[in-house]
Amino acid sequence: MPTDTKRVRGPEVSQSPSLFLCKNAVKKSTAANDARVDGRQRGQVDVRSVFVRCGLISQAKGSAYIEAGNTKLICCVYGPRETERKDETDMKSGRLITDMRFAPFSCRERGSWIQGSDEKDLSLMLLESLRPGVCLQKYPRSQIEVNVMVLENDGAVLAHAVTCASMALADAGIEMYDLVLGCSIRQEGATYLIDPTLLEENGYNLASGSRENLGSLTVAFLPSLNQISGLQSDGEMGEDTLTGDVRTCIEGCFKLYPVIQQALSKAVRRKAPPSES
Amino acid sequence: MATVQVSEAEKVYILHGVRDDLRVDGRGCEDYRHMEIETDMVSNTDGSAKVTLGHTDVLVGVKAEMGKPRPMVPDEVHCCFAWKFEGRGGDELGMELSNTLYKVFNNRYSVDLKSLCISPGDHCWVLYVDVLLLQCDGNLFDAISVAIKAALFNTKIPKVHISEDEEGGKEIELSDDPYDCMRLNVENVPCIVTLCKVGHRHVVDATLQEKACSVASLIISVTHKGTVTCVRKVGGGSLDPESIFEMTETGKRVGKALHAPLMELLQEEESLGKKRQKVGFLG
Repeated sequence: MPTDTKRVRGPEVSQSPSLFLCKNAVKKSTAANDARVDGRQRGQVDVRSVFVRCGLISQAKGSAYIEAGNTKLICCVYGPRETERKDETDMKSGRLITDMRFAPFSCRERGSWIQGSDEKDLSLMLLESLRPGVCLQKYPRSQIEVNVMVLENDGAVLAHAVTCASMALADAGIEMYDLVLGCSIRQEGATYLIDPTLLEENGYNLASGSRENLGSLTVAFLPSLNQISGLQSDGEMGEDTLTGDVRTCIEGCFKLYPVIQQALSKAVRRKAPPSES
Repeated sequence: MATVQVSEAEKVYILHGVRDDLRVDGRGCEDYRHMEIETDMVSNTDGSAKVTLGHTDVLVGVKAEMGKPRPMVPDEVHCCFAWKFEGRGGDELGMELSNTLYKVFNNRYSVDLKSLCISPGDHCWVLYVDVLLLQCDGNLFDAISVAIKAALFNTKIPKVHISEDEEGGKEIELSDDPYDCMRLNVENVPCIVTLCKVGHRHVVDATLQEKACSVASLIISVTHKGTVTCVRKVGGGSLDPESIFEMTETGKRVGKALHAPLMELLQEEESLGKKRQKVGFLG
């Protein structure tokens, strides 16, 4: 791990008090038919309600803030700017640079300011999900920077980052083929939990079924073109379950679509109010 | 990944060929190139394997060391994946490789992590799996996953014995016999299959030229039972949901068929024992 020389560091080694928490207090076994902690249903396409707002950050070309349950993310877009490296590929089409970071206070345990390898991996996934949606060939010799900051991590971070980033890109006026929406799902035995919270993502319910079919899946989807631009799955799942989960995520994306469209049109109206005459 | 420049005419040629299930080197869409596997190449490691797939060359060394387990999970061991390339550059590729490999092996059932615990909360085995890419000719993930499976099969972890001495401190004893060791059960270790979307069809084990013609690929890791442990889409293009379902099915079929011959081969090589002729790096 590279050392951080820019900041005043605390002690070398410190531990979170949650490590010493009594195990019995944390694990509560819930039967498979129980509703989820926040009142949503298992096995149904019940995504968390989303609050979205564009145009928060005046310095950035485009920005968006998304809140889904307790997950809060903010995204800024800068560009198109002249690209730093003059590669041959940059002559024909633009470049998209994504950066996803977690604020140190966003997760249960304190993270560091330096980007860890899973943050870099998430940035790469974000790039792969957004690239098919942006008309990069309209911006030759330029680069567009997308910076996502997770303020609070309560599950389904990558999915909401994709949604937030594509809203910020639209707010910045970057030409796109379609909005890219993300949806996350957690498969536990026979049921699935769509848009899981952090506890649901990390914990697993031993009571609900066998060791088969335990995993998570994140899908990035372009609704009007019906194309999947990003797919990542984890854990062990049968192929049919995987297929079913992808379809469920697509449904979840369709549910989000009208909300995002509404938020975008509000933002556009605010920026350029329609003329009175 | 290292890319080659492919002209438009070549791309059309490859596309038309794939459409008729005939690739440039004569394979079908679901055929692998010639694969050579050799284990126990490096004597200083606890397990090693070298895989040559076409012109792609991968060397994996596994070293087992004793360390402290992670605080949250006191009775499991953790695996660390590290990569190195010959030559400059490739940092992003390396990171993508090690992160994907970590996801593939991160579930509870790939490697029996509990068997690698020495004493809960205090000591456990840490398996360092180091991957060295000697030559890249496309399809890195597949070659690396086969090499990792072979190297883990070949890994011999020495047996340790914990004894308590009078003051209550723990003493670790390594057995004197160098052949007294523990083997890992690699039945559930998954293999990765990379499927590239070329035109309307998908191909397994794409060469660099075929990769240059494809916009997106799907990496799918399959165990011998056919369960899918990790799926990931790479590349800058988008895929139709129906194509993804088709590719998943093909990947599962091809991956499942890869395991049985691989295990047979590894066991055959093991049974040859001292009589085996080592080919090494010069073969």
